[in-house]
Formats: sequence, structure tokens, C-alpha cells
Amino acid sequence: MFATIARLMVKRIFTAIPILFVVSALLFCILRILPVDPAAMSLPPNATVQEVEAMRREMGLDRPLYDQYSIWLGKLLHGDIGRSIHFRQDVTSLIGSTLPATIELAVIAMVVATVFGLAGGLLLFYVRGTRAEAVMDFASILLLSLPEFLWSLFLLLIFGVFFEVLPFTGRLSPGFERPVVTGFLLLDSLITGKFSSFFNALEHMILPCLALGIALSPSLMRVLRSSLMDAYQDDYIHQARLRGLSEARILIRHALKNAILPTLSLMGVQFGFLFGGTLLVEIIYSYPGMGNLMVDAIRNADLPIIQGAGLTYCVAVLVISIIVDSLYLILNPKLRAR
Amino acid sequence: MTFELDRRNLLQMLGLAAVSGSVLSQASFAFAEGTDNVTIGWPSDVPTWDPNVRFVPDAQPLFKMVFDQPLDQSPDLKLIPNLITKWELKPDGLSLPFEIRSDVKFHNGDPMTMEDFKYTFVDRVKSGLKLDIANSWRTLTDIEILSRTSGVMKFSAPTPTAPQWLAFLGSYLVPKKYIEAVGAEEFGKKPVGTGPYKLVDYQMNSRIVLERNDDYFGAKPKIKRVTIDIIKDPSARTAAIQSGQVDLTVNIPVREAERLGKTDGLVAEINPFTRLILLQMRNDMGFADKAVRLAAHHAIDKAALSKAFYGGAAVPLSIPATPGTPGYIDDYKFSYDPALAKKLLADAGYTAEKPATFKLAATNGQFPSDFDIARALIQMWQKVGLKVELEQIEYSKYFELNRGGKLPEATLYSFDNATGDPEIFSGYLMNPKMPFGAWKGQEIGDKILQLFVEPVYEKRIAGYKALAKEIVDTGANIPILQSVQTLVRKKNLSYVKYGNAWVLGSTMSWT
Repeated sequence: MFATIARLMVKRIFTAIPILFVVSALLFCILRILPVDPAAMSLPPNATVQEVEAMRREMGLDRPLYDQYSIWLGKLLHGDIGRSIHFRQDVTSLIGSTLPATIELAVIAMVVATVFGLAGGLLLFYVRGTRAEAVMDFASILLLSLPEFLWSLFLLLIFGVFFEVLPFTGRLSPGFERPVVTGFLLLDSLITGKFSSFFNALEHMILPCLALGIALSPSLMRVLRSSLMDAYQDDYIHQARLRGLSEARILIRHALKNAILPTLSLMGVQFGFLFGGTLLVEIIYSYPGMGNLMVDAIRNADLPIIQGAGLTYCVAVLVISIIVDSLYLILNPKLRAR
Repeated sequence: MTFELDRRNLLQMLGLAAVSGSVLSQASFAFAEGTDNVTIGWPSDVPTWDPNVRFVPDAQPLFKMVFDQPLDQSPDLKLIPNLITKWELKPDGLSLPFEIRSDVKFHNGDPMTMEDFKYTFVDRVKSGLKLDIANSWRTLTDIEILSRTSGVMKFSAPTPTAPQWLAFLGSYLVPKKYIEAVGAEEFGKKPVGTGPYKLVDYQMNSRIVLERNDDYFGAKPKIKRVTIDIIKDPSARTAAIQSGQVDLTVNIPVREAERLGKTDGLVAEINPFTRLILLQMRNDMGFADKAVRLAAHHAIDKAALSKAFYGGAAVPLSIPATPGTPGYIDDYKFSYDPALAKKLLADAGYTAEKPATFKLAATNGQFPSDFDIARALIQMWQKVGLKVELEQIEYSKYFELNRGGKLPEATLYSFDNATGDPEIFSGYLMNPKMPFGAWKGQEIGDKILQLFVEPVYEKRIAGYKALAKEIVDTGANIPILQSVQTLVRKKNLSYVKYGNAWVLGSTMSWT
């Protein structure tokens, strides 16, 4: 099995290279076509038109697009994504310092989405054919129709302002020590033994993770429900019933095992969306992740950061799809046999 | 011995974890509160902690808590001594002798010297570092050191606003010895200044924690620890002050500020400050005719805009300067007169069948109610027979569109000037050689260039006042309102209000 997974991973990594190349070219061209002037944005308000022109030449913006791209790609291959126009720091270091917070947020949000999605999917399936089905259906559609940022505001008002039980700014409350080892705050606070910081960081993650997770869960619920319905049409379910297995055992041990596969694929796709969804959620909860950085970059026409962050999102989506495909192989013996 | 994780064990462990986590975290919550601490909800972060690098108006109050400027401003925006105790711009505007304090120490204990001045304003700029202050001090050729505490700034051309710039964007004194030892990059992460607070913790886009500098040369801050939560979303800032997670916040929607002002324990203020809301105008296309520009101006009911969008607190403006600043003209008023607007258009030959048409560009969210103001302007113009199309632009596109001559006839714009000096209002806004100057008429441009090198203060101010009138009378610019800063704070937290909207932890105290 491991050899099969290793073969798949190598194959997917090779496929990822041209994808990254195309994405980088698209990203570069689209950003250059936009009517923004990074040279003017990089200079103070009292800069003259001549100084802006000089800066434009220095940034290579007066050269043909293919020239600009080849220079950028050459540097990229040497690990140099560029220097931020606004922050005047290396983009690599800016992304490196903000990415762990976003990964931490996205992973926990995905856990929330998975728990809600699977539990909700099972419940939806369980109430099929009853009067509760319509209510559950309505509830899932309602959940589906609200985007992450609305959930963010809603949860913030309920738990942050009305009940005042959960914090909603930043990663830690004032007064807590912030250990820095890997950049993953939960992990770092455990490594350094700062348990009060760990629990406080967890408290800060509840609302943003719920906002992201709840928004993603309805699609998982609905896909799982329909997969389960398909699975229940198969002969092995009837066989299991004939063998006298309980309905709960049939559902969990037999039907769910098969029905989970399409849900898993969807989770892979959703994780990519979830990364994108962190942009507004991070702004609302003052969460210092890459989404927050990206919003700053867009506001300031900071093209090097937008390009770097765009590529990072692309790499993240590719990595996730490789992981999901590997899980597919682990869970589905038929695929391994091919 | 074996340990089996059964359901009961698991539940016990989870319960214990939840209780201990909650207790531990509550214990530290208690630490964060108290009269020695204040938490401010601020809408933006510093781009870097090197204060010479970028000009970001909203970051200035943050820099001012960690660093000092050579000169300071009083709450009514007058220049006052700070690190520099005496200064005098020579009549030719080519040199500025000055004296500095001898009792100032950087946060690392190093004494401040004349070498630090020279390093900040001359050496750093000449070393080729990409610093925004290089632009503001482009005429500064040298700082001649005369003694341990005195020197002379020397300029290649008359620089009449040198004293103003010593208290303006980016002009913060940085430590030569420390930067040379650790490098500029490291200094941008772990800054050392002379300011009333030391930076003790910083997480980009999230939190700044400052602790009082007990060796500060000036008045000692009453608050020992200032925490600044960077909360970019106005709704989240509103929620943070309402729930008590911060003690003071700014720039929340006017309606929210008014609502919170009625809440027990909170005070809301809507403070006008040195930021203009105006229309940057072109002198061609649909605005080639002066009558159309003036008609557009007479048609705007500025008081109604202020009432509708800023609770009536934004002062209607007739010239591009704010009340109380040197270039403001108290007795000059441009009338709101829709009848006159109609007459001007009719006299110029425009009718209902052949209306004057133009486009208006506006940002959406760059400053409070910007797009709403633009929509209201369209309606006001429609009433006098002007046919106007609204176009939404991003702020970052403004410069590119202006450079390529692609801005429409009018653009709704917001312009900040903490010094209040007219050079930075009319001079910068109307100079065709600057990136935001949309008006390309050389007549006004030439007058500005003359005023840029006019060293006599009174003459310079009089010149800008006359220019401001000319700008408005010719329809080269339409000033609309003085912008406002909303501020909500706990009732027992006091602070000093500045005319340029600085909010400084060093001026705060609990009562």
C-alpha cells in the first residue's frame, strides 16, 4: 500500500510543477494588467512624477511583460519571491511569519467542519422519510446560504458582545506570554509548557474556527446524506440486514465506510476554499494570518505579496489534494488494485 | 501498570482540562486589567517599526509612543520643542540652526547625540536605503555639528516647511549606534527609540504591547502598560468597545458611535481633524468650461452631507484647509446656491436637452461614507441639471489613472495633513508635478512652485490664502468637508484630544 501511495505522490508532485508554472504566469499577467501603480504606491505622497517614473524603471515596470515575468521567475526559482512594497521586508519572511497562524486556523476549522458535516450528514440520513427531514433540510440550506464573514459577525455579536463569554480579537488576551518556536501558537505553548497561553489561544480560536467550519459543514452534510442513500441501494446492505446486524452497525461499519469517499473528495476541495475564506474572517477577528496580510497587500497594491501569497495558496491546495488522494487510496482498496 | 482510556476517563480528563484552562486563562485576564493598563482598539498596524521607512498617517500615533520627533505639536497643532529645544529657519530658508536636549536616552540606555540626528536625516538617506523621509528631506545636504548639543541643517534650496517636517510623517530620531550594530532589518523588528514607551511585544496585524519608559525625559506617562489591538474591521472595533475588550477605539461608523455614546460607562466623540474631503478636478473634458465646475460646486449642500453622514460634526469647507490651521480663511464662504448653479449652466448654453455631463470617481470604504457621499453628490447635481455618471475606483488605482490621464473629471478624495500647513494642503493637492495633482493648469502650478521656495512665513501663508481662493473661484478644486474621527472610550478614561486626531497612550489616565 505504501509503495502505491509513494508512486501516486511522486506522480502528483510532477503534475504539480506545470500547474504551478501556469498559475504563476496567470497570476503575474493578471496583476500586471490591473490599473494599479505599484511605483507610486511605494513612494510617499510628496514624491514628484519624475521620482515615480524613476521608481517604475527601477522596479522594471517599464519593460515588456515577458521580460518582467522571466526576471521574476528566475528569482523565484532561487527562492526569492521579492520584497514587499509596503512593508519593505522580504515576502518570504512575511509569509513565513503569517502562514502558521492561517494553517492552524484552517486545520481546526476543517476539524469543526468535519465534525459538524459528518454528524449533520448522519442525522439528515437518519431522519429521512420523517417529518423532521424537512426541518433538517431547511436548516442545512440556511447554513449553506450564509457566508463565513456573516457567521463571523453573528458569532462575534452573540458570544463576544451579548454573552461576553469568548474573546474575539487576536490570538491571545493581553497579559499572556506568546511563545515563539514554530509559529504554531498552540504547539509552541505546549512545547514551552505555557498551558495558560495554550488554553487562552484555544479560546481565541473558537469563534473564527466555528465561523469557518459552520459555513463549510452543510455541503459535507448533504453530500454524505446522498452518498449514504446511494450506498443503501447496494446489495451488501441487504446482505448485512439478512445477517442480522443492527441498523447502527450497518450504518457506521458498512455504509459510512463507502459513503465517506465522495465526502472526503469534497473536503479536499473545501479545504482550498477554506484557505480563501480566512481572508475576511482573519480581518474580523484580528487574526494575524496570511489572509490579513493579503488584504493589506491588496489595499496597497503590493504586487510581490499578492503574487507570493497567491502561489502559497496554490501550493497549499496542491498539497491538500495529494493528501486527499492518498487517503482515498488508503480507504478504497479497489483503487490500490488498479 | 496499564492505563485504559475508557469513556469515563476521557470525560474526566476533558472536564479537568476545561476547568484548568478556564481558571488559568481567567487568572491572566485579571492581569490584563487595572488602572495601570489600557487597551486601545486601533484600525491599522505599522508597516514596519523603522519609523523613517513609510509615511502612513494612521501609524503616526503608534510611532509617537515609541519614538520622538525633533519637534512636537501641541494639541492645537502649534510647533513646540521636543528633542530640539531651539530652532530658527534663516531668512533665506537655506539653513536651520538648532539645539538639542542633552538628557535624552534611547531605550537601550545609549545617550542621544547630534550624531544620531545626522545619521537619521542625512546618512541613512544618502546610504541608498529606501526611506520615505528621503523625499521629505531631499533638499537637506548636511547637518553641520557645531557642539555636543548644537548643529545646523543645510539645504540646497529654500525649504520653508523644514520646521513643520521636523514634526511630520517619518521624521523620528533613530539610534545610529544600535542600527549599525544590529542592521536596519533587525531594527525594524526590535525597535529602540527615545519615546515614552518601549515596545515589549509585537505581533503583526494583531497586537502591540508597550511598557512605560521610566527614563523618559519628558512628562512620565500615567499608564504603565499600553496594549494596542489592531482591529481592522469597524464592526469588530464596535463590538470590542461595547463588550469591554478594549478601553478606547476610533473610526467606527458615526451611527454606532452615537448609539454607544448613550450606553452606560461609555463616552462617544465625533472630532473634526486635519483631513479634507474634497473633489480633485480636471481642467479638461467635461470640466473644460469653468461655468460647469462652478455650477457643480454651487449645487453641493455640504451641511446636508455633514448631517447625513457625519452627525453634523464634519465642518463644511469653502477652501482646501481646515479651521484653525494657518491657511484657513475665516471670512471666505463659497455659497450653496442651486439657483445660481442653474443660471451658470443656462448662461453657458446648457439645457435639459443638452445637459453638461461628466463622470465622478469615488472609492468605496477608503474613508467613512465615501461612496454614499458620491451618490448624494450625483443626486444634488441632477437637481441643477448636471448629468453625472458614477464610477467606483480603488484608492491604489488613483495614481495609475492620474498618471495615464484616465481619471474622470472629478474624483472624491480624502487628504490628510497632521501639520495643518497650507503647503501640504493646497501645495501638494494642486501641484501638477505631484502624483495626486489632477489639475494640470500650469498657472496655478507655477504659483505653487514659487510658494514652495518662499522662506518668509507670513508671505508664504498669505500667498497660500490667495491661492486657495483662486483655486476655489476658478473651480480648480471643490473642498467639501473636514473629515471626522469617531472615538469611543470608557467614561473614566481620559486622554488629550489633538487637532490632527493623534490618540496617544502617553496622555491617557484613569480617573
